[in-house]
Amino acid sequence: MSGIELNGLGKRFGTRTAVEGLTFSVLPGEVFGLLGPNGAGKTTTVRMLAGLLSPSEGDARVEGISIRDRNGTLRQQVGLLTEQPGLYDRLSARDNLRFFIKLHELDEKAAWKRAEPYLARFGLKGREGDATGSFSKGMRQKLAIVRTLLHQPRVLFLDEPTSGLDPESARTVRDVVAELASEGRTVVLCSHNLHEVERLCTRVAVVKQRLLAVARVEELRRAGLTLHLRVQGSAEKAAVALAALFLAGKVLTEGSSLRVFLSSEEDAPEVLAALVHAGVRVYSAVRGERPLEEVYLELMREET
Amino acid sequence: MGFHWRRALAVFWKDSLDLRLNKGLLASMLVMPAMLVLVPVGIIYAYARNPSDVSLRAMALFYEPGLPYTASAARFLIDKTLTDWFGMYLVMPVFVPILISSQSVAGEKERRTLEPLLASPVTGAELLVGKSLAAVLPAVVICDLAYAGMCFGADVAAWPLVHGRLLPNALWSVGVLCIAPLFAFFGNGVAVLVSARVAEARLAQQLSALVVLPLVGLVGAQLAGFLRAGLAYYAIQAAVVLVFDVLLVLVSVRFFDRERLVRG
Repeated sequence: MSGIELNGLGKRFGTRTAVEGLTFSVLPGEVFGLLGPNGAGKTTTVRMLAGLLSPSEGDARVEGISIRDRNGTLRQQVGLLTEQPGLYDRLSARDNLRFFIKLHELDEKAAWKRAEPYLARFGLKGREGDATGSFSKGMRQKLAIVRTLLHQPRVLFLDEPTSGLDPESARTVRDVVAELASEGRTVVLCSHNLHEVERLCTRVAVVKQRLLAVARVEELRRAGLTLHLRVQGSAEKAAVALAALFLAGKVLTEGSSLRVFLSSEEDAPEVLAALVHAGVRVYSAVRGERPLEEVYLELMREET
Repeated sequence: MGFHWRRALAVFWKDSLDLRLNKGLLASMLVMPAMLVLVPVGIIYAYARNPSDVSLRAMALFYEPGLPYTASAARFLIDKTLTDWFGMYLVMPVFVPILISSQSVAGEKERRTLEPLLASPVTGAELLVGKSLAAVLPAVVICDLAYAGMCFGADVAAWPLVHGRLLPNALWSVGVLCIAPLFAFFGNGVAVLVSARVAEARLAQQLSALVVLPLVGLVGAQLAGFLRAGLAYYAIQAAVVLVFDVLLVLVSVRFFDRERLVRG
């Protein structure tokens, strides 16, 4: 199997542990989200997987190549979009790309042929001769994305790919990411934009030095099933009735509305029965899933 | 993965292009050569303009008490200036690569361009060679051009007294062609090493530039009459620098490691 497999991956810088014991896999053609707060070790993990840092413990295989192999073949298979575009300001957009075409020892004509449609899609066509120092933040980001795709990497690590982009450009980038995945390329997306992760990723890993969760996005959201209720009068009375169901702390009230966090789908009838038994008149009950953002924040709260 | 010249030359191409577009750096690179040519030419002109000035004999006798009375003190001082100034001229091949390498290595860190570069297949050795070529070659070319300017300027300035060519001579020609590249390599090696360890181009430049102080000290000792310069003296300097060059290459290859560079 190709894609990415991490096996107990960890990195220490002196006495400080950046990440430890990361074990999960990313399937080929999958868009995978790597989530975590600042300083959680996401960048360190990506740097290890892209062959920039060697692990202190464990191993990982990217497209079947161990990240401990220092012969450089790994870097031919991966494309890394760093948080900062990292362009040479005095050089033109064309020369910035040409430099990486040369570094990857690509056929220049073929590489341009691949790059041009992306330049056109990102609205950079006609600006190839301009120094990138004169580009806006969004243009720089888009050019960096084109640079990442020049050598047709099998695996892409994208750190905040839509950072600084206008909504239209951000949408184009999301479309490109989806297309790349549909071509069988593996995409690892590091982002704090959880709405974007929800839209693009099939699975996510939440890390904070260690792995907190790895699951399909829907599974994570389902793990946070909720029941939205509208009752007659104040919802406080209903909340008291539910306390007997050991749901204390898992009920939010506002006016005549309740939001009950469920452990499983089986809890829903129990909640309704308890309310009816307590004489609470229920006008509506709608099952919902929590947004990824809420699940993520809860994971962070539990960790601290 | 072996050494790929194509990738090393790509780094050289990019750094050279970046240097050509960096007007500020180019200007600062040209100031020192201009000074190192104009100052000795001015001194030679001063000696040649009034060769019978008695104070010149006093100066010449300070350096060479056995100077024959019939010998021209001005001519002696012009020859001494040229011999001693070569030590000062050697500061140029050390300093120019420092200016370039500090920008190209620590500058990459500062501008956040290093990480995408290190994520490409380029190896540490290829990066080192490409960046070193981009720093050493301009330094050698500048030294050669400055030497051409020095030859012209010195000959014109000394003509009223010498009525012939002073430069090129054996010391300067051997020095510029053989010794200056060794010094350029040394300056580059120091700057690359320092740049690999610091995050700011300016700090890298300031720290690396400290290596020119011993050279300036040696020239000071020559002018004070403590050291007598000549071809043999400069050959010894070159041999010492060659040893340093070899050591710097060995250390640089170790320090030009992806992990060290990424972590800064």
